Amino acid sequence: MKYIKYFILFGFLASFSANALLEVSIIKSKDDSFPIVIAPFEMIGKFQEDVDLAKIIRDNLNRSGQFDAKSTNQLTTGPIDFDFYLKHKKDAIVFGKIRQISSNVNHAEIYIYDVLTQKPLYVNKIAFTNGALRKTAHALSDVIYYALLGQKGSFNTRLSFVTVSKSKKNAKRIYRLKISDWDGKNEQTIIKDDDPILSPAWSADQRKIAYVSFKNNRSDVFVKYVFQETLPQKLPKFNGIASSPAWHPDGKNIALTLSKNGNKDIYLYNFESRKLKRLTTNVAIDTEANFSPDGKSIAFTSNRTGQVQVYIKNLKSGKISRATFEGRYNAKPVYSPNGKDLALIHRVGKDYRLALLDIASRDLTVLTQNKSDESPYFSPNGGMIIYSTNRDNKGILSIISLHNNQTVELMQKEGEVREPSWSNYSN
Amino acid sequence: MSKKILLLSSVIFLSSCASTSISELGDKFLDLINPSDTPTEVTDLSEEIFVAYDDSAGFTFEELEVLSNDELIEIAKEKGLEDILKIDADGNLQNRDEIINALLEAEALLDNATQELQSLSNDALIERAEEKGMDSVVVSGELKSLSNDELIEIAKEKGMEDTLVLDADGNLQNRDEVIKALTDNLIILDEDGNIQNKDEVIEALREGAEETKLAALLLENAGITSTLYFSYDDSEIDEVATRIIIQHANFMQSNPSFNLRLEGHADERGTREYNLALGENRALNVKEVLGLYNLEDRIVVVSYGEEKPILTGSNEEAWEKNRRVEFSYY
Repeated sequence: MKYIKYFILFGFLASFSANALLEVSIIKSKDDSFPIVIAPFEMIGKFQEDVDLAKIIRDNLNRSGQFDAKSTNQLTTGPIDFDFYLKHKKDAIVFGKIRQISSNVNHAEIYIYDVLTQKPLYVNKIAFTNGALRKTAHALSDVIYYALLGQKGSFNTRLSFVTVSKSKKNAKRIYRLKISDWDGKNEQTIIKDDDPILSPAWSADQRKIAYVSFKNNRSDVFVKYVFQETLPQKLPKFNGIASSPAWHPDGKNIALTLSKNGNKDIYLYNFESRKLKRLTTNVAIDTEANFSPDGKSIAFTSNRTGQVQVYIKNLKSGKISRATFEGRYNAKPVYSPNGKDLALIHRVGKDYRLALLDIASRDLTVLTQNKSDESPYFSPNGGMIIYSTNRDNKGILSIISLHNNQTVELMQKEGEVREPSWSNYSN
Repeated sequence: MSKKILLLSSVIFLSSCASTSISELGDKFLDLINPSDTPTEVTDLSEEIFVAYDDSAGFTFEELEVLSNDELIEIAKEKGLEDILKIDADGNLQNRDEIINALLEAEALLDNATQELQSLSNDALIERAEEKGMDSVVVSGELKSLSNDELIEIAKEKGMEDTLVLDADGNLQNRDEVIKALTDNLIILDEDGNIQNKDEVIEALREGAEETKLAALLLENAGITSTLYFSYDDSEIDEVATRIIIQHANFMQSNPSFNLRLEGHADERGTREYNLALGENRALNVKEVLGLYNLEDRIVVVSYGEEKPILTGSNEEAWEKNRRVEFSYY
C-alpha cells in the first residue's frame, strides 16, 4: 500500500517579490464540501522562505469549492486519533513533514488517511530545491485533490491578468501585464505601459503570452516569452486592427482578429511559415476566437445576424453553426477543457453575466448576479472559471467553483485588475 | 498672444470656406444638406489682423519686407498659409502686407512653443513627448556606438522596421539613415533617464503640437464639433453625424496640410474585444463618408474600444459620452 516516489521541483524565479498585491476573499461558501483536516506540517531544518505550507494547501482546497479543510492545533506525530476525527465528522486527515536534506535540497513527506477505514490513501515523498516551498505546497494540493476526488487539481498553475492604476505623479493610467500563482501570490510584472494592454493569452506550453498593446497608437498583437528577458515580438504588421489572439493547442498557430479593408475576420497565423489563413469571411464583425481543446474547432463572437451571438466553426468541414440562441447578446466564448461546454458573457436585461453553455444540448446556465462580467477562462481541470467583474465600481477578478458556485475574489488595494487568463499545469 | 492666433485662424478658415463648393459633394448625401448649415458667409477680418508686431525671434518685419512677392508666396506656401494668398490672374500677390503679418504671427506661434518646450525639465519633456505618442528607448552610450544588430532590434521593437534596409544575409545597409530615423522619432534616454536627443524631441513635439493645436482652434472658431456620438452597439452614421462629417470634409479640403486621425470608441458594456471591433467600425463609417471627397489618403483609423472613456462610471450618462468617434488632426 505504501509507496514512495521522488520527483524534483526546481527552485523557481527567486526574484519574485514576497508582497502580493492581490487580496483574496471567499464568498457564498456552501456546506456541501468534503470535510477534511490538513494538520500543520512538521518543519525539520532551516528554511529561508517564511511559508506556512499547510495553510497554503488548506486555502487552495477551500477555494476550489470542493473541500472544507480545517487545521488542528498540533502536529500529527504519534498514532492518529481516528475516533476524534470521526466524532468531528472529518472524512480524511492529511499530515506531513518538510525535512532539509542538504544546503539546497529538501524533502516533503505527505500522508493522506481515510478516517473511516483508518487506512492510508496516499503516501509520497517529494524532493524540492530551496525557494520552491510555495510551489511544493501547490503541487501537494494537486496530489491531495487527486487522491480524494480522483480528478486533477488546478493549483500548480498560474494566472495572467492586466492591472490598471493611476500614477501618483500625474494621474495617468499605468497598465501592467502580470502573472501570479493561481492564488494571486508571487505576482510579477511582465509588461508595463502607459497605453492599454488587452487580451493576454498563455500558450499551451506556458512559455509565451500573446497580448494586444496600443503602444504604437493602434492595436497590435505581441508575443512575450514570459520567463526570458527578451523584448516582446510584434506579429507582422497587418492593415487595420490586429487583436484577440488565441493560441492553437499545437503552439505553432495563433488565431487573430484582423481588420483588412475594414472587415473584421478571424485569421490563423502560422509562426513557422509566417502565413495567414482566413477562417471567417463574413462582412459582419467576427472576433474573440477560442480553440476547442482538440484544435479542430473555433468558437467566436459575431454580429452577422444583427445580434451579437456565439458561433462555432468546424475547421475541417468549414461548417459554421450558431451556438447560442438564448438572449440578444452572447460573446467571448471559451471552451471547457473537455470541449463540451463554453463559458461566455450573456446579456440579461441590462446586465452582462457569466454563463455556461452546454454545446450539445444548447442549455445555457447563468452563473452570477453581476452587472458587468467579462473575460471568462476555465481552470485547466475545468472545475473553476476565472472572470473579471466590478465591485464598488472597481475591476476585480473572480473565480467561481462549478461544484457549488462558491466565489473567490481577487482584488488590488488600489486600481483595477482585469483580463484574466489561466495557464496550463506548471512544469 | 492667444488673441493674435485666433485672428489669424479665423482668416484662414473663413477665406478657405469661401472657395469650397457644396457641389463637390457626393450624390449620396446631397439630399441631406441644408445649405444654411454650412458656413458660407465670409467676414472680412483683414483690418483686424494688422496688429502691431514687435516680438519676433524668427523672421523680422525688416527681413520679410525686402523679399519679392514671389519669395513671399513661396514662404507662405511652405508655412501652410496658402489659403490666405490672394493672387490675381497675372500671378501677382494682392495682399502682400497681410501675408507678411500672417508669417510673423505663424513664426511667433511656433517660436513660443519652442521656448516653452525648451524651458521644460527633463522629466516634463519626456512626459509631454510620451503623451504625444512618442516612444522611448534606453541606450547606454550613444546610438552611434550601438552595433547594427542592436539598431535593428530597436527599430523592430519600436515598429520602425520599415526604415531598415537589409541585404540577403540580414546585414544593415543604411546604418546612418536608421540612426537618424530613430533619433528623429524616438526619445533616446541614457541609463540615468536623461534625454539624449532633446533638440529632435522638441522639433517633433513642436511640429505635431502646433498642427493639432491650430486645427483645434480653427474648428472651434468655425463651431465644428470634433466628436460624433453613437447609439448602443451601433455604428450607423445618421443625418446629424453626416452634416458634421461634411463640415470636416470641407475643412480638410480647405486645409490640405492637415491629416486626420479618426479614433473610434465604445462604452464599457459588452466584451472588450467586441468593443474594439465596434469602435473601429464607427471610425471606418466616418471615413467612408469622407472618402466621397477623395480624402482617404489623409485619414488613419484607430479604435480604442472601451479602453479610453471620457467619463468613467457605469451609467447612461457616461455610456452616451463614451460611444464616440473623435476627429484628431495632425
